[in-house]
Amino acid sequence: MSAVRPPAAPAPDGGHILDLDDLGVVFTTETGTVRAVRGVSLHVAPGETLALVGESGSGKSTVALAAMGLLAGNARATGRAVVDGTDIVGADEEQLSGLRGKTVSMVFQEPATALDPLTRVGRQIAEVIRNHRRVSAADAAARAVELLRRVGIPEPEQRARAYPFQLSGGQRQRVVIAMAIANEPALLIADEPTTALDVTVQAEILDLLRRLAAETGTGVLLVTHNMGVVADFADRVAVMYQGAVVETGSVEDVLLRPSHDYTKRLLSAVPRLSVSEAAGGGDTAEPAGAGSVGAGSVGAGSAEEPAVELTDVSVVFGRGKQAVHALRGVSFAVRPGETLGLVGESGSGKSTASRVALGLVAPTAGSVTLFGADLARTRARARRALRAGVGVVLQDPVASLDPRMTVGECVAEPLRVHRRTLSGRERESLVGDVLDRVRLPREVARRAPRELSGGQRQRVSLARALVLGPRLLVADEPTSALDVSVQEAVLEVIGELQEELGFACLFVSHDLAVVQQFARRVVVMRAGRAEEQGLTSATLLHPETDYTRRLLAAVPVPDPIVQRGRRAERLATLAAGRTEEQG
Amino acid sequence: MSSLTSLDTPAVQPELAASNTRLAVRRFLRNRLAVVGLGVVVFFVLFCFVGPLLYSTDQTHTLLQQVNESPSGAHWLGTDAVGHDELGRLMYGGKVSLIVGLSAGVLATVIGTLWGAAAGYAGGWIDAVMMRVVDAGIAIPALFILLVVSAITTPDLSGLVLILGLISWLVPSRLVRAETLTLKNRDFVLTLRATGGGHARAITRHILPNSVSTVIVAATFQIADAILLVAYVSYLGLGVQPPSTDWGGMLSSGMTAAYSGYWWLIVPPGLAIILVVWAFNAIGDGLRDAFDVRGRA
Amino acid sequence: MSTYSFLIRRVLQALAVVLLVTVVVFCLLHALPGGPARGILGPQATASQITAFNHEQGLDRPLPVQYVYYLNQLVHGDFGMSYTLNEPVSQLITERLPKTLLLTVLSAVIGLLFAVPLGVWQAVRRNKPVDYVITTLSFIAYSTPVYFLGLILVLVFSQVLPWFPAQAPQGNSVGDILAQPQGLVLPVVAGAATMVAVFSRYMRSATLENLGEDYVRTARAGGTRPRAILTRHVFRNSLTPVVAMLGYYIPVLFGGALVVEQLFNYPGMGLLFWTAAQSSDYPVLLGCVLVISIATVTGSLLADVLQRVIDPRVKAGRS
Repeated sequence: MSAVRPPAAPAPDGGHILDLDDLGVVFTTETGTVRAVRGVSLHVAPGETLALVGESGSGKSTVALAAMGLLAGNARATGRAVVDGTDIVGADEEQLSGLRGKTVSMVFQEPATALDPLTRVGRQIAEVIRNHRRVSAADAAARAVELLRRVGIPEPEQRARAYPFQLSGGQRQRVVIAMAIANEPALLIADEPTTALDVTVQAEILDLLRRLAAETGTGVLLVTHNMGVVADFADRVAVMYQGAVVETGSVEDVLLRPSHDYTKRLLSAVPRLSVSEAAGGGDTAEPAGAGSVGAGSVGAGSAEEPAVELTDVSVVFGRGKQAVHALRGVSFAVRPGETLGLVGESGSGKSTASRVALGLVAPTAGSVTLFGADLARTRARARRALRAGVGVVLQDPVASLDPRMTVGECVAEPLRVHRRTLSGRERESLVGDVLDRVRLPREVARRAPRELSGGQRQRVSLARALVLGPRLLVADEPTSALDVSVQEAVLEVIGELQEELGFACLFVSHDLAVVQQFARRVVVMRAGRAEEQGLTSATLLHPETDYTRRLLAAVPVPDPIVQRGRRAERLATLAAGRTEEQG
Repeated sequence: MSSLTSLDTPAVQPELAASNTRLAVRRFLRNRLAVVGLGVVVFFVLFCFVGPLLYSTDQTHTLLQQVNESPSGAHWLGTDAVGHDELGRLMYGGKVSLIVGLSAGVLATVIGTLWGAAAGYAGGWIDAVMMRVVDAGIAIPALFILLVVSAITTPDLSGLVLILGLISWLVPSRLVRAETLTLKNRDFVLTLRATGGGHARAITRHILPNSVSTVIVAATFQIADAILLVAYVSYLGLGVQPPSTDWGGMLSSGMTAAYSGYWWLIVPPGLAIILVVWAFNAIGDGLRDAFDVRGRA
Repeated sequence: MSTYSFLIRRVLQALAVVLLVTVVVFCLLHALPGGPARGILGPQATASQITAFNHEQGLDRPLPVQYVYYLNQLVHGDFGMSYTLNEPVSQLITERLPKTLLLTVLSAVIGLLFAVPLGVWQAVRRNKPVDYVITTLSFIAYSTPVYFLGLILVLVFSQVLPWFPAQAPQGNSVGDILAQPQGLVLPVVAGAATMVAVFSRYMRSATLENLGEDYVRTARAGGTRPRAILTRHVFRNSLTPVVAMLGYYIPVLFGGALVVEQLFNYPGMGLLFWTAAQSSDYPVLLGCVLVISIATVTGSLLADVLQRVIDPRVKAGRS
């Protein structure tokens, strides 16, 4: 990192603020014991940021909690986790209370639930101060306001009196950070601090954490699955796989010249945003594979009538003062054989738009045409018949499949609805065929959904969506609950099947890199409007609106050198904008 | 397919392989109170239905030569004011209490489930009207309604079951409605609706099967409450007519005798009621934890 | 939603519920075999006597007309005359209601004072012997018919140990009742027992749920000590759902009061109701049911308002 850090105070344990030595964690569950972490040895020096990366289940969060002494009651830690000279493993609650919030602090993933909902945020910050210092309530409150100002909350005096629910997700995370830095800890542990946030908010929070760490020389242990965040923030990286560290090194070495097989596979699965103004160097991906699928069908596609078309659609939930305008005059069309990507941040209306296309939400104004038929003017029976041509894959792999059915019953459900004359054997053979197509063994038909992994479940959803041979596939964040390696496999299957079957695809995602790889055309949504739309290759490389430009600039790319350039550029643009406003 | 498939988690995670039901049974059996409760219920069912075969007594004739006798070798729990053997009467009355309680509890759950599921699935103003009806029902305390009914009529056993069922379906209807509201917005139901599946299929194939555990837990608590309510029925003057009786009837007719020191006329039926109601509550508690559903605390 | 429009909406809802209750009560009145007349004139009354009575009371007019007439009377505070006590029902109720409210509020407050700490204690000592003992005891208390519990209390604390009178205090006003506090002990204990059982369970599960929340982890990460987390954060958060349950519990409290008043001969509405049931005094019965329902609806309205006061999120309409 380029920031100049103040010289670190000498600390015990070879100058490390955190020293993990052969750390192991075992969970006792009702079905047996699970070794979540095995033989992890790591260290964090004052002023440096160590990123702990890995996929879900790799044990990275467990390591972070073990270093705080915050493991759940059914977990047992072995080995040593030394923070500033105190071994956390085996320390009693009194010792730990003295350390937490003073020497070592933590920022959590979920800002929505991390704060006490019934206590004003200023008070919650003041509490952390008064846990460790003998100051009056008034002094602590004043200091809390000061901290809120420092973490960039506007009007901190008023905001200190707010309850958590009155703040946005990003502001809540800033409050959690204010609590964490209240006593200027020597070590900050951040567990997926930006995962629940939109990409622009993520960039701001990362900037804030970086600035605070640099100002105070705090060592940071950053737990994340996002390689872009790693490239943006970390000095060193440790890669975890199945409870053990498989590779450690400088951020440049690990991200650009990985040595372990797992790291290599992981990095190759990360979707990369291609950027026109990339500051050279690095191996930024060439405009990606699946895009060519759409490109191949351009000629045929544009002539045909759209599979689904939204014309000037508005959706208002509620009425009167509480009315929420979820969509305001949105128009787009998806043509046979092409993929239309719908991107935007939370609350942009992208999910509502997909639900309108599915007929689950009726538009307040405007019209929806499905396979050439205006849905508002179609009788219920005909509408249901039309819907036989629609396949759906939704985000949550757990909620998407009925837990009381077998996989086979789930996949066969559309057949039971629309092709009632089929015999049991015919149905079975069609289910088997479609399972083949999504590359699941036919035997899974007899299994229960919960026996499958997340990626397998999403492929079952895909099989159900495809079993009737649909003309339109609506995929609402189909891979955002999945690890990158699994995401890549699922996207690959969708892409290949689209090429083979020629269905239209409406692809909703918050991930610009994924959309760039997967969709031929894109609609950028913002606050219920279609901010900008066009060919992905044009819109996401040379955006026309400031908003899309800002959105793209906020996406961290998993290349530390490129990302450093992008960050500098983004901050410069921001600063310029600010001077303009003032001037 | 790329080599990455190998990174996808192994097909079957061993800890998940045990079926839902087996897991629930295992969790239930680990709850000691619930297992004891189950034992108590089994004991009382055997006691009331098999007991009279082993311990035969005359429960129809008035036997004035053996009135209010204290427990002895001949009458293990003594005799009551008309000379009936108290232990035999406990079996005899228990039959009525258990049958009426079980049927009324199940009836209430069935009504409540249908009402709650209909309101929750329909939503909108239908839901609002249906739930106001439930509010109105809850606003009138059950004991007050029972007492009004007792002033109007004296029902037979099936009438009693009907009355008890009709006044206690409100709480399960609220639980099932809440469950239906969440289920109808679950992704698998949305997917079905979006691809042209009908309401009937959504309700019969998805919503009802997935509410089964909630309904079972609700039914267990409902049975406990119904047995308790049956115990109030005789006290309020609605009880079954002599020479038939139930535990509540035994208890309320023994109350005056209690001041004369005839403890054996109130302690056994009182304990029987407490034990059985306690047992059903403990079972309900265990089932709720085992199925991991929300119900009453 | 503003407090103002919330109150208006909530009051309208409550009125709708009360209106529904009047329909139920009206239907009950006419569900009587032979109508109200048979009940009043007795089983020996002849058909002509009944017809004459019905005509005299306006009971031969169409039901909707009678319902509107009935509602109009209610709005003017006219609940009819008691058949047996020769007094207007409204006057009987006005005299008795405050005494019943005294008994129920006392039972509820004392019940909560025991239930809340017990529930928290159980949650903190989850699955320890204390938890099992209190759980077992509260299940037993819940499973005991109130009249049986009352009987045992009288036998033990009045007959065997002559500590408290077996009879509740008598008198026309709340002041008279409060002048003899020792007579209130057994009725209040009998009324509060179920309350303790139910609400210690609620408090236990609410506390357990909150102990598992993320904000507890945040507080621990900030070095807040376990006891302070419990008293400053978890306790308040656990109390809100329990307050909401209070609204639902009011009918049970009144049901309990009915039995307790009869058992201890306490001169409240429950006893009035009981006597009316024995003598088929329908105007009194139905008047009481209506008033109790209004009290219940008002009580749950108050619980809602109270919840808005404690929990700022409810006020913002996003609980």
